[in-house]
Amino acid sequence: MKRLQIGIENTKLANGLDVVIAPDSAAPVVTVGVYYKIGFRLEPQGRSGFAHLFEHMMFQGSANAPKMQHIKLVNSSGGMLNGSTSYDVTNYYEAVPSNALERILWLEADRMRALKVDDENLKNQRDVVKEEVRVNVMNQPYGGFPWLDMPPVAFRNWANAHNFYGDFADLDAADLRDVQAFFKSYYVPNNAVLLVLGDVKAEEGIALARKYFGEIPAGPPPPFADPSEPEQKEERRGHVEEKFGTLPAMAIGYTIPQRRTTDWCAMALLDQALQGGRAGRIHRELVLEKQIAVEAGGGIDDLFGYNGPTQMTTRILHKPEYSSEATLEAFDHVIRDVRENGISSDELEQLKVKWRSDYYATLEGGRGGYMPKYGLMHLLACFTLFDNEPQLVNTILDGFLAVTRDEIEAAARKYLRNEKRAIVFRTPVKASAKEAA
Amino acid sequence: MATRTVEVATGIPALAAERAVTWPKRTKARLSNGLEVILAEAHSIPKFHGELFFRSGNAAAAHRSPGLAEMTATVARTGTTRRASRQIEEDLRRIGADLSSGAGADTSAISFAGLSEFAEPLLGLVDELAREASFPEGEFERERRQKLEEVKLERTDPGFLASERLRKVLFGVHPYGQVSPSEEQVAAYKREDLQAVYREFYTPENGILLLVGDFDAQEMLKTAENVFGEWAGKKPDPKPTAAPANPRGRRVYLVHVPGAVQTQIVAGCHAITRKHPDWMKLGLTNSLYGGAFNSRLVMNIREDKGYTYSPRSGVNALRQHGFFSVSAAVRNDVVAASLAEIFYEMDKLRSVPVPVPELADAQNYLSGVFSMGLATQDGLLSQLSVVALNELPDNYLETYRQKVRALTPEDLLATARKYLDSANMQIVLVGDRSQIEEQAALFGELEIYDARGARLH
Repeated sequence: MKRLQIGIENTKLANGLDVVIAPDSAAPVVTVGVYYKIGFRLEPQGRSGFAHLFEHMMFQGSANAPKMQHIKLVNSSGGMLNGSTSYDVTNYYEAVPSNALERILWLEADRMRALKVDDENLKNQRDVVKEEVRVNVMNQPYGGFPWLDMPPVAFRNWANAHNFYGDFADLDAADLRDVQAFFKSYYVPNNAVLLVLGDVKAEEGIALARKYFGEIPAGPPPPFADPSEPEQKEERRGHVEEKFGTLPAMAIGYTIPQRRTTDWCAMALLDQALQGGRAGRIHRELVLEKQIAVEAGGGIDDLFGYNGPTQMTTRILHKPEYSSEATLEAFDHVIRDVRENGISSDELEQLKVKWRSDYYATLEGGRGGYMPKYGLMHLLACFTLFDNEPQLVNTILDGFLAVTRDEIEAAARKYLRNEKRAIVFRTPVKASAKEAA
Repeated sequence: MATRTVEVATGIPALAAERAVTWPKRTKARLSNGLEVILAEAHSIPKFHGELFFRSGNAAAAHRSPGLAEMTATVARTGTTRRASRQIEEDLRRIGADLSSGAGADTSAISFAGLSEFAEPLLGLVDELAREASFPEGEFERERRQKLEEVKLERTDPGFLASERLRKVLFGVHPYGQVSPSEEQVAAYKREDLQAVYREFYTPENGILLLVGDFDAQEMLKTAENVFGEWAGKKPDPKPTAAPANPRGRRVYLVHVPGAVQTQIVAGCHAITRKHPDWMKLGLTNSLYGGAFNSRLVMNIREDKGYTYSPRSGVNALRQHGFFSVSAAVRNDVVAASLAEIFYEMDKLRSVPVPVPELADAQNYLSGVFSMGLATQDGLLSQLSVVALNELPDNYLETYRQKVRALTPEDLLATARKYLDSANMQIVLVGDRSQIEEQAALFGELEIYDARGARLH
């Protein structure tokens, strides 16, 4: 068994900025990322969707690189750029030919130091974000299902339960003061990590990080609301209308154990057993064998990338001739079986090989080929911000490969319980579904 | 039209000297049974990625039924003379592999990735699927019913409805004109039809095997010979199809989706194939127009006006005919305003030469991004696939950058005039008729359809 070993150098600058360099000279390409430890989970109350709207603002201009210059400078250097907002982090990243490295570091440092935006920029990006929400959610069959429908049903703490893309009224209420306040609180070097991967030498990367980021002043420690959930003691259910789609749908989410525990490793392999593609038990029984569902699958979204309550979710689109109750019963049959009988040692061995293979694919994953080393960057960033331990990319696999059958069975019994789950039914307005739930 | 003055950045570090881009050596061979094999080493992770392509897809099967090559590929992975469906899926998991099968207009493919240590068993399974698929009756029936639900479901997706209508408008009765089968056509699929397509398409003479990853190329070639060497089969006879008519004059096709809160715009015209000598010129022109984040259209209707999140243009190369298209999902009240800008930017490229600095930026962009494919196994595989499937010259990857950098403003002006065929663009709008019909009618003669394709007006 060949194990991959990633060479990593990391340091912390005097202003608190973490720096992680992963040199690899195989291609003359370098990937740069800046991750800030704030996502939509802990955005301000009354400002749903703000973390994401703010992400857009970070492309609108900074002290020495006005509007349109960020995009122009990266593209004209031969590279791509983007950003994304998730539960607990927001990232900004570029992949460029390695001769543009200094320019990219200068750009990222410029917008970490000082955002320079006006009301017109904010109005412009508010309009853009609304079209983003329409194209991905409001005008799309099963748009936002279940990632936006599940939280308000499953969780009680506003942090975990609100609309992460944002209510339009909240987006409209956001003003420039909110933008600058959010920037001042969370976009400080002591709440961020800079990553440079690919065609760079470690000492060169660290020296350049010092040169461009070293003088940015640290801020006070950012305020973080408490994301913890009261203990769930009953199954929760909710209903949502499906405006365009023709098939009745449901999603089932189980709250999963805290990250980096033995239970968490066992749960990740259990997730693979249940929903690892066509060999996964849920797809096999509901789609291939019983043929109740057209789609049945899901999983733990971004296993390494969250830092608060989360779920293992299954999304099912089923044939209208089966009721919701019958479909849920077929799903429950799969869950009961694994709770009562666990999994065989042969199945566990298969899962571990697949897990190792998938882990390497995650590291290599490049957002459709245009962003080399995106996956490795994401893991290094999360292991630095959440665990202060980027070297985990080389060791975290061990915990998963050590999971036993007993641990999997125990995790199934402990976490796959009705009182630990939430179910959302998304029912077509038009279809003649037999609604029984 | 972008009205605000664009400020420039100050104090930007200059670019350092460029490091040479070195594409990995390709090992090419033709096995005695006619199978073409292309290998490249890439040692980033202890895995490899592969494609077994066949040079026949849905277009070559269209005389039997639309979408039949896709259905054949789907059912081919559900059983062989030696393994049942469940066995196949578990065996894949046992060796840590992923595998999918599918067909586009011009090719059918088995795509796979797995751990290098299990290369031989994975290739063995690929060979088995390509030679000994048994099309079990029960699996066929299940996949057919599944497909019926899928073809109903896709009619609720605005993006699908837009691209479906555009292809119909651009290619008419040519096989490229129908991107997906109807419910009736799926209901009429027969297992024997799939088997006939399978026998005809899935042959070594019709195939290309591409492998990229962590292996020794010479050893991998031997493994491929051992695994695939016994297989035999001829190239299918080509079925010539009449060239589609090129639609003249702007026309507007509105697909009515009641309650839509946004309008999906897509407009397109005939263009060129990947092999055409103008391909790079059009690629660069497209990149300036709407093919990059920094392009004129994105800066105009997104960053300046905020009409849309996702404007993009692209050159779509099919084997026999290509087309150029531009798309954006916009607010209902700015459909006409967006179309006006879409045409304004097109006409501007057709009338005014691109300033040299802007051209240089676009050349840098295209040649830089082209090299990103070097950095990952699947990125390299997709670059090699484009070269192999389009029969591009062996030095295509090595010479691409210099060819892009040699282009001039005059080249781009001529290219825009030829291919950004503003006067003959076919416009498709998917949205709520009551909100956008008046705006739509401003741009040409209007036809209105429902989501199932029935003409309403």
